[in-house]
Amino acid sequence: MTATAAIETRQLTKHYGDVEALRDLDLRVEPGEVFGFLGPNGAGKTTMIRTVLDLIRPTSGSASILGHDSHDDAVEIRNHIGYLPSDVAMYQNLTGRDTLTYFANLRGGVDWDGVRDLADRLDADLDKKIGDLSSGNRQKVGLIQAFMNEPDLLIMDEPSSGLDPLVQREFQKMMREVAAEGRTVFLSSHTLSEVQRIADRVGIIRHGVLIAVEEVASLRSKAIRRVDLQFDTPVDGSAFAIIPGVRDVTVENHHVTLSFDGHMDELLAVATGRFTLQDISTQEADLEEIFLTYYRDEESVA
Amino acid sequence: MLANVFTKTTRDRWIGTAIAGGAVSLYLLMGAAIYRDMDLSIYTDMPEVMRSLMGIPQGADVASMAYSVILGFIGAITLASLALSMGSASIAGEERDGTLGLLLGNPKPRTAVLVSKAGSMVFLIGMAVLLLWGGGIAVPVLLNFDTGGLFLEAIIFHLFINAILYGFMAMMIGAWTGDRTKASGITVGVMVLSYFAVGLLPLIEGASDLARFFPWYYFDSSDPVMNGVNWGHIGVLVGLSAAFAIAAVIGLNRRDLREQAIGVTLLDRLRNQPMTKKVVDRLAGSTRVARIWIKTLSEYQGMLIITGYTMFLMMGVLMGPLYNFMDEALITFSESAPEALMAMVGNADLATPEGWYQTETFSLMGPAAVMLVAATIGAKALAGEEEKRTMGLLLANPIKRSTVLFEKTIAMLWAAMITGFLTFAGVALGALVGGLDMSMGNIAATCVLMTLLGLVFGATALALSAATGRVKVATYGVIGLALVFWLLNTMLPLSDGLAGYAKWSPFYYFLGSDPLVNGMHWGHLGILAAIVAALVALAVVLFNGRDIRENG
Repeated sequence: MTATAAIETRQLTKHYGDVEALRDLDLRVEPGEVFGFLGPNGAGKTTMIRTVLDLIRPTSGSASILGHDSHDDAVEIRNHIGYLPSDVAMYQNLTGRDTLTYFANLRGGVDWDGVRDLADRLDADLDKKIGDLSSGNRQKVGLIQAFMNEPDLLIMDEPSSGLDPLVQREFQKMMREVAAEGRTVFLSSHTLSEVQRIADRVGIIRHGVLIAVEEVASLRSKAIRRVDLQFDTPVDGSAFAIIPGVRDVTVENHHVTLSFDGHMDELLAVATGRFTLQDISTQEADLEEIFLTYYRDEESVA
Repeated sequence: MLANVFTKTTRDRWIGTAIAGGAVSLYLLMGAAIYRDMDLSIYTDMPEVMRSLMGIPQGADVASMAYSVILGFIGAITLASLALSMGSASIAGEERDGTLGLLLGNPKPRTAVLVSKAGSMVFLIGMAVLLLWGGGIAVPVLLNFDTGGLFLEAIIFHLFINAILYGFMAMMIGAWTGDRTKASGITVGVMVLSYFAVGLLPLIEGASDLARFFPWYYFDSSDPVMNGVNWGHIGVLVGLSAAFAIAAVIGLNRRDLREQAIGVTLLDRLRNQPMTKKVVDRLAGSTRVARIWIKTLSEYQGMLIITGYTMFLMMGVLMGPLYNFMDEALITFSESAPEALMAMVGNADLATPEGWYQTETFSLMGPAAVMLVAATIGAKALAGEEEKRTMGLLLANPIKRSTVLFEKTIAMLWAAMITGFLTFAGVALGALVGGLDMSMGNIAATCVLMTLLGLVFGATALALSAATGRVKVATYGVIGLALVFWLLNTMLPLSDGLAGYAKWSPFYYFLGSDPLVNGMHWGHLGILAAIVAALVALAVVLFNGRDIRENG
């Protein structure tokens, strides 16, 4: 281990009564990276974030942020972070500017030129009351709030929700800039395309358990491929399912679709040996499929 | 009628209904017990103004007093308020919460939703009325007094029809405007105005017929306890309710639904005026958000203005001159009033200005006003931010949880002190205007003790809020505790053996030393202040040790 981790959790566990929201989570987020935290709704993403922010307390295990203990040094930590909660709620009767002023007063050391710059980039309206804003426009105020103190670590829970594509692109650029300056971005998401575009690494969480941490690049190089096979007669999918490396076989008459990370010659041997292959197309799987694949593996193990 | 809308509305509201019905029944038991032990002539000899307002029949006995005053007055106001709160919530409430659009996104006509809400209101009021009916039967049996010749069912039926009238009225205003505050505000106004008009107009020569223009007339002018159901009057009330209901249907169907929206205040308007923008921006914007406590206090300005105004003008200034009008009657009253009744107003000697102010201003309204502002802020301070899900964002700033709690406490202290000070200013001014010989220092001491008493309950609400993160728990918890302690302090001294236990109630340390007469009791001040400090400290510990709630 070289530099101090931006986030480090050790055997982090959180129970709500009988429900195990997080189990033995060991995660290390390096400084200067954009880390995507992926999982479906209810997987434990928000619980993990709220635990490391000391909003809720772990049942066991511990976490540190930028080298500080998440509970003992909670106030010190918050000097260095920006946080955007999921589905952010703010004071309905304050304008965006009032809201930002409020938090800036609590925080101190906010550069208002920077705030204006952020508002311009995100095209945010700071003169309207929060309660009169659409959810996307409210999200922009939340984002400015998280970015405005130039934090060493940005923790954002589902940050893109409600943003239109143009603003999303600008927001992604902002995150890359943060990482380029050696600061860290931790974002949770269930939209994989977004994470795929900007994250350096992803952690995948399900049912409170971290099931994988991978570099986005190496995930792609796992070479899971999506293969479409077209035959001249209806075929039986079971012939393909037994080939090593084949998953998710769907058969529609003459048409077979599957995910594949085995040896192509084995697949072709079956496809051409027993049937008449008319057409074949393969493409690199996106994270979505890799993600689903991880899930399926987990499920079959469980 | 949509069964599920009916069921959901009923389920959301039944607890409040049960509490209201049960509380009035309990009150009936308590009131009847007191009436039984006292010389009722003080009521029957009261000036006709008061008798007329309280609905006390001439030649009243225990049973008719209990039925007319408790059911006919307290019960009627309670149930009508309950109905109008349901009525105003039914359409306008869901609109404000932004859930009405969702509800109407289902393939159901607006009328059906409205009818289901109305059905639920009528049903719940019916349930509350049944509770009262049960109480009306049980209390005479328990206390062993005779109700022969009285019409319990008649007053109950009048109550029921009267209450739903105000429910439909609020529903109609809500359906036309989509504004819940307007719906309940206007309806309360109409109810209170018509209650006073019906009580007072008959006393004015030649004006008594005007009372017929006010709906409350058709509730109790026929004296249903004594004379049974007046079907003509019931017909008028039912007819009016039906008209309101039809108007509600028309109003709801012809209007654009409001989106969930924030009201525009006067400050907002001034803020958009170029002339005033700069100053108001300061005031409503940067100053308001300068500190947590300032922002918190600014959220309760409406409540502070109303309670402050009431305490200063109504309970303070006006009571001074009023004393001069009343004093003859008061002396007779305080001589014949039973111990139990006098205990409720703090055993004051009504014949003195101190006793008058103690009875009118300090025995109930004053502490209730400070408690209201302090406990509202206390209950919502932490739990409110959690339920609105802003606490996470607030705590993402480099401040301790205890700092947040202390800032909220400061807002609560200010609110209580402002209310206490306005009470002092009002009473002091009232004493001057009325030419009453009262010690300013003693008034100040009483107001300080009153403020601290209110803060005890404010801090209790704060601790409950800190412990649970739930506004409802904190609110109901503190109301329950306040009632228990108030009753302890009022009732225990009536029994010689138990009188000492009143010291377990914080109320004892407010008027127990008779501060209006004797000045500040520093020991009592210390005890109240220590309780407040201990509760705030407890709140810090409870808040620090807990998970912040994520969902409201």
